[in-house]
Amino acid sequence: MISTPIPDFLAILRTLTEYKVDFIIVGGVCAVLHGAPVSTFDLDLVHSRDPGNIDGLMSALQSLDAYFRGQGSRIIRPTPRHLSSPGHQLLLTRAGPLDLLGMIGKGRDYKKLLKSSVEVHLSENLKVRTLRLGTLIDIKEETARDRDKAMLPILRRTLEEKSKM
Amino acid sequence: MKGHDDNHSPYDDNVLNENLQAYSEDGVDLTLIRWMLSMTPAERLQTLQQNIASIGRLRDINSDS
Repeated sequence: MISTPIPDFLAILRTLTEYKVDFIIVGGVCAVLHGAPVSTFDLDLVHSRDPGNIDGLMSALQSLDAYFRGQGSRIIRPTPRHLSSPGHQLLLTRAGPLDLLGMIGKGRDYKKLLKSSVEVHLSENLKVRTLRLGTLIDIKEETARDRDKAMLPILRRTLEEKSKM
Repeated sequence: MKGHDDNHSPYDDNVLNENLQAYSEDGVDLTLIRWMLSMTPAERLQTLQQNIASIGRLRDINSDS
């Protein structure tokens, strides 16, 4: 029987936290953390592109055995130059797919998103930062890709239900 | 005297609250949202991972057959 590796988002988040990497969770996992009943197979993060943070991120990625996915049999590892760019680095790690996004929406990077994020406690010693649900909705509206538009009704209704609590 | 009310059906507590909509006007299942909101963020993440694991197991079974 073929065994498929199961993504372990918690393991990725723990490793990044161990290496003191500054990041904000965005995308599907952000939506789930806010209570939206959606599914996703990758972890989307916007990371700080400050040189000190890139160093920590490189160490964390080495520990996670990260490489670019979708490159056939070639194993290409991310470099500081890749991680310093505003582009999207689509990686595969030993704990599943990880997308590192230099910038999302209309020019929103880590520094701009920081004020629109909140801290979430996932365990006693694991605290992560995630985008506010309202901001995630704003970004999906401005991106307006088909897959974003498909998720929008669920995100909007989740925000409404949360406001009733 | 307080006693058991013979007119009280044991099923009364099981009556669905019709004020709680099951679906929004745009077709979103609100019961799933309320279920997710009843959990902590850590439990929501665990639920997502369990869903992915379930799908993975189904995919493995399918590829095996």
